[in-house]
Amino acid sequence: MLAKPPDPGADLGCIRVLGLTRSFDGKRALAPLDIDIGPGGIVGLLGPNGSGKSTFLRCLVGLVPPDGGTVRIDGADLVGDGLAIRRRVSYSPGELAVYGELRGEAHLAWLLAGRDAETLGRGRALALEFGLPLKSRLRTYSHGMKRQLYFAAVMAPRVRVRLLDEITEGLDPSKRNRVHELLREDADAGTTILLSSHNLGEVRRVCDSMIFMRAGEVLSKESADAVQRRSRSLLRLTYGAHDDFAAIEQVARASGVRDARRRGGRLTLQLDCEDPRAVLAAVCSASQLPKPQRVEYGELSLEDLYRELYDAEVS
Amino acid sequence: MDQRLRIYAVLGTAYFVLLELMLIPAILYWPDFEKNIGAIKALAPLDVLKDMVDTLAQGGIEAYVNGQHFFKGVNTLGTLAAALFACSAVAGEAHRGTLEIWLARPFSRRRLLLERYFAGALALVLPIFLTSATIPYLLSLVGESMDPWRLILCAVHAAAFLMVIYGLAFLLSCLRSNPLPIALLVLMLTVFEFALYLVKGITHYSIFRLVDFDDYGAIMAQGRLNLAVLGPMLVVIVALLGASLHAFARRLP
Repeated sequence: MLAKPPDPGADLGCIRVLGLTRSFDGKRALAPLDIDIGPGGIVGLLGPNGSGKSTFLRCLVGLVPPDGGTVRIDGADLVGDGLAIRRRVSYSPGELAVYGELRGEAHLAWLLAGRDAETLGRGRALALEFGLPLKSRLRTYSHGMKRQLYFAAVMAPRVRVRLLDEITEGLDPSKRNRVHELLREDADAGTTILLSSHNLGEVRRVCDSMIFMRAGEVLSKESADAVQRRSRSLLRLTYGAHDDFAAIEQVARASGVRDARRRGGRLTLQLDCEDPRAVLAAVCSASQLPKPQRVEYGELSLEDLYRELYDAEVS
Repeated sequence: MDQRLRIYAVLGTAYFVLLELMLIPAILYWPDFEKNIGAIKALAPLDVLKDMVDTLAQGGIEAYVNGQHFFKGVNTLGTLAAALFACSAVAGEAHRGTLEIWLARPFSRRRLLLERYFAGALALVLPIFLTSATIPYLLSLVGESMDPWRLILCAVHAAAFLMVIYGLAFLLSCLRSNPLPIALLVLMLTVFEFALYLVKGITHYSIFRLVDFDDYGAIMAQGRLNLAVLGPMLVVIVALLGASLHAFARRLP
C-alpha cells in the first residue's frame, strides 16, 4: 500500500503509481509498475507498439481497471471506476473517433461535459486559434482538425495533471509546433503533463524527462539531460557486412568500450566515458582491422539511442 | 445534450408517428369491419387467425382496439423499436470507436449507462402511452368509447413486455461491440416467437401469449393489471438492468 503522505497537499500535481499490474486473458500487459512523476514538467512516455503505454494511461484514469497496485493522481486515489481522478485530470485518448454528425462547437461541448462554462470558453478560444470551423460538422474535418479539437478539449480544463496519448499524431509541422509551445507554457505554469508519443523528435524537443517502456515494463526513466549524456557515450561505426566484427569488437573493448551491439554492418559501441578518441584511435590505427566506412558520434537520434540501448524498435 | 439522447428523441418521435398512423385508419375502419366480420373470418388463412376474428366478434370494439393497437401495432413496431433503440446503446459506441472518449469524461459509468438506458426506455414506452391516450378521441369519431384508465393499464402491460425485449438487447449491447448482429438476433428471436404464436397447439409456448387479446381483454374487463404476468416481467426487467450495469462496469474501452 502507498504510505499516506503527512501533507495531503504534497501529492498535488503528482502521479504516483506503485505496483500497478494488468493482464488481458492471462497475458501480462503491465508488469508491476512503480512510477513517480511531478509536480510539474512534461514527461515523455516512449515505447514500441504493444509496450503498454496506452494501457498504462487508461489504467491511470480508470478506463481499464488494474489487477493490482495503487494509483494516486493529484492527491486522489484510483478507486472504483476512477471518477475522482477523471475529475482532477484531463485525458486525451490516442484513438481518434468522433461523432461526425455533430458540429465542432457541439462536439467540443460534449467533450467538455461535466466541466464548467469557463472551461468550454477556453476550449472554444483555443479551437478558434487553431482555425477550426466550429460551425461545421465533424465529418467535414480532416484527421488533423479532429486531433486539434481533441487538443483544445484536453487543454481547456484548469487541472494540475494532463494525460495525453499521441496528441500531435496527424498534425502538420506548424500546428505541431504550436501544440509544443502550448504544452511548454502549460508545464512552465506548473502543470504535470504525461505525454505518450511515437514521435521521438517531439519527445526530445518538449519533454523534461522520459520513461521508456517495453512489454509492460519500465526500462528506464531518465531526464532529457541524461539522455543527451547517454547519446554522447555512444559511438557508431559502419563497416562492410562481411568484415571481421569479432576482431573489431575485441580491440574496441580493450580500449574503453563497455558494450557493443551489431546490427547489419553497423557496430554501436557504448563507451566508458564521453570521449571517443581513444577507441577511435585503437580501431582505426590497427592495421589488421578493416577501415570504417562511416563514423557517427554525438549526433545519434533518440530513436537510435532507444534502439541501441534497449535493442527494441520504436515504430 | 448527449448525441445518443438526441437520436432517441428523433427515433421516439418517428415511432410515435408510425404507431399513430397505424392506429388512425384501424379505428376509422371499425364500422366496416364490424359489418363484414363474417366475411373477414372466412378469409383468415390460419386457425389462430380465425380464433382472433372470433374473439373480436365477441369482444366488440374493446377487443378490436386491443388487437389493432396493443397486439398488432405495439407488439410488432414496438419490438422493432426495442431492438433498435437498445442494440447500439453501448455496442454502437464501441463500433464507431467513441466508447473510450465517452467513458473518459468526468462521469461515473453507472450514470452514463442509466442515463442512456432510461432515455431509450422513455423513447420506447412514451409513444405507447401517448398513442393510447388518443384512442378515446379517435373512437368518438366512429361513435364508440372506451375507458381511458383501462387503456392506460393496457399500455402499462404492453410497455413492460417491450421493456423485457429492450432490456435483453441492452444487455447484449453492453457485452458486444457490433450493434447489427444484436439487432438481428433479437429480431429473429421475436419473429420466431411470433411464428410459434401462430401455430395452434404450440401457441402457448410463445412469449406473445403474455401480450395477446386474452391478456388485454382481461385487463379491460377487470380494470386492473394482471400481476401474475406483470410481476415476473418487472423482475426480469430489473434483473436485465442489473446484469447490464454489472457488464458495463467491467467493459474495456
